[in-house]
Amino acid sequence: MTDFLQTVVLGTLLGGVYALMGSGLTLLFGVMRIVNLAHAIFMIVAAYIAFYAFELFHIDPLVSVLITMPAMFLLGLAVYLPLFPRIEATPRYVEMTVLVTFALTLIVEGVLGFLFTNLVRGAKPGYTTDALLAGGIYIPVGQLLALGMSVLLLVGLWLFLKYTRIGTAIRATMQNRTSAQIVGVNIRRISAISFGLGMALAGASGSLMSYLFVFYPGQHWRWVALLLALIVLGGLGSLKGAVIGAISLSIISSFVTRWLGPDWSSLTFYLALFIILMVRPQGLFGKTMRI
Amino acid sequence: MSDSQNPATVGTTAPEPSSGGRDAPTRGRTSRRVALAAVAAIVLLIPVMPIPSYNYALQLGTNALMWVAMASSWNILAGYTGYISLGHNVFFGIGGYSAGIALAYWGISPFISAPITGLIAMAVGLAIGLITWRAKGPAFIVATIAMLFVVGMLFDNWEFVGASAGMSLPLPPFPVDTAKVPFYYAMAVSAFGAVYLAYRIAHSRFGLGLRALSQDETKAEVAGLNTRLYKLIAMSLSAFFIAVTGAIWAYSLSYLRPTIFFNIGIATQMLVATIIGGRGTVAGPVVGALLVVAVNEFSLVQFGGTQLNIVVNGVILLAVLVFFPRGVVGSLREARKLPQFLNWD
Repeated sequence: MTDFLQTVVLGTLLGGVYALMGSGLTLLFGVMRIVNLAHAIFMIVAAYIAFYAFELFHIDPLVSVLITMPAMFLLGLAVYLPLFPRIEATPRYVEMTVLVTFALTLIVEGVLGFLFTNLVRGAKPGYTTDALLAGGIYIPVGQLLALGMSVLLLVGLWLFLKYTRIGTAIRATMQNRTSAQIVGVNIRRISAISFGLGMALAGASGSLMSYLFVFYPGQHWRWVALLLALIVLGGLGSLKGAVIGAISLSIISSFVTRWLGPDWSSLTFYLALFIILMVRPQGLFGKTMRI
Repeated sequence: MSDSQNPATVGTTAPEPSSGGRDAPTRGRTSRRVALAAVAAIVLLIPVMPIPSYNYALQLGTNALMWVAMASSWNILAGYTGYISLGHNVFFGIGGYSAGIALAYWGISPFISAPITGLIAMAVGLAIGLITWRAKGPAFIVATIAMLFVVGMLFDNWEFVGASAGMSLPLPPFPVDTAKVPFYYAMAVSAFGAVYLAYRIAHSRFGLGLRALSQDETKAEVAGLNTRLYKLIAMSLSAFFIAVTGAIWAYSLSYLRPTIFFNIGIATQMLVATIIGGRGTVAGPVVGALLVVAVNEFSLVQFGGTQLNIVVNGVILLAVLVFFPRGVVGSLREARKLPQFLNWD
């Protein structure tokens, strides 16, 4: 029983982080129909920022969120503004965003590989090796803090979307782009802000990644495949789906790790993806999509 | 399939009613035949010509032919139907591994087993198609990436083929001086085969159906097209020559390793080549593959083996997407400046 609970706890802790990682991806798709294949490589960019902030200036990875989020927001604007308005009018727009972000991925991956090589890195603040013991269940402090940060940011995101004017405009755009425009939402501006927001979430995810996992530039495909699997499962563009998908899959994968070893844990995400595609291609909370 | 649709109105890449316009069609066609025959002759004669740095040239040629085969095959699914796959090197790996197993355990030459590996890959393609056929757009792409990782993971743990460490194959029994020649010709066969297959599909009712569904799947279905079957067949056909290429490549490499064969970089190259050349056209992947091989060779010489050549690929891809989304061949055709000998649609 403790063993069972232990596995659930470990799965939930990571699931919260996956939810944060997936939230930026699903937000971009929801607002702008952008499938951002570059999400994970930008997470790794942020992880490098957090890693060096820790190594050089001893800034705690959790505190480095204050650096990575604004930095990635600005980088997001710098990427969005010259590129995406140009391709807005192309037919098969969704596919185009895939290709454009794919090209971005290659560029960023190459630059990171050139600068930092494919050496495996990971920040090691003191608490990564600590653990709490509660009723026979051990809780790694680093992961608990990461979960806390993820919950904080996701709640913050939810409050922002729910109660601010810009947030309302973003939700309106998610629901119906044309109607939002008719009632006076400046789509261009909202799109740029959302892109920056998605990137800022990738930035926060990168800060957490820098000490929770080891990372290197070439690894981003595994991450993006995993995150996309999870948000397709939840329903593309659905934040609620991303969170529920992330936590449930993470718990299942934690059991798979327990039984078959860590090599097979990512298999959970992919198999879940195949099953959902065969049974309910729009995902758990998704609307049927027209491409 | 409804016959009422005029080929010229279906698809952005549909053939123009009279190719060229200025030339009489027959004259254009003859000159194109001559030009293509000349190109084929040059390709086939390179190994027997006294060219400087012979082995290097042959290696480069083999490489170029390989990417022509790969990009042309990839284009059958991604170009004609619009379903982008980043998992197509599953077929590459299946080709390489099946041929490698046949060679290592039963001593069958990959040159003989290559077509059979192609058939195996077609069967796998059907299976993958059955899993993913309901997925559209982004979900399909995600599914193909996931497929690649799943298959890679299986091979990573399959002891029979050496798991993640891979296994060595018996060395090819060719004399050292001309060791590269058989591989060159084998890749040439694969490349010509792939381009011919792509050409035949583009000029068939089946190809027309694929273009129709790439335009609007629902309408195509309403018009009586069995879109599911069409997608499955396209997936399956696009697998064949990729597997053949994988088999030849495994033989020339003489070892198998999952990280080499199931590396997403291979799918990346197919995509980059096809998009740059012109998706959905027959000549596009060929032009794109040659350009990509040339650019890679250039950046390899310029920057050495660093990651900067990935950056170069990315920058070119981005520039093409933003400024010439139809690729070289597609944009030239749109501007009515496509040379006759490249007008294969």
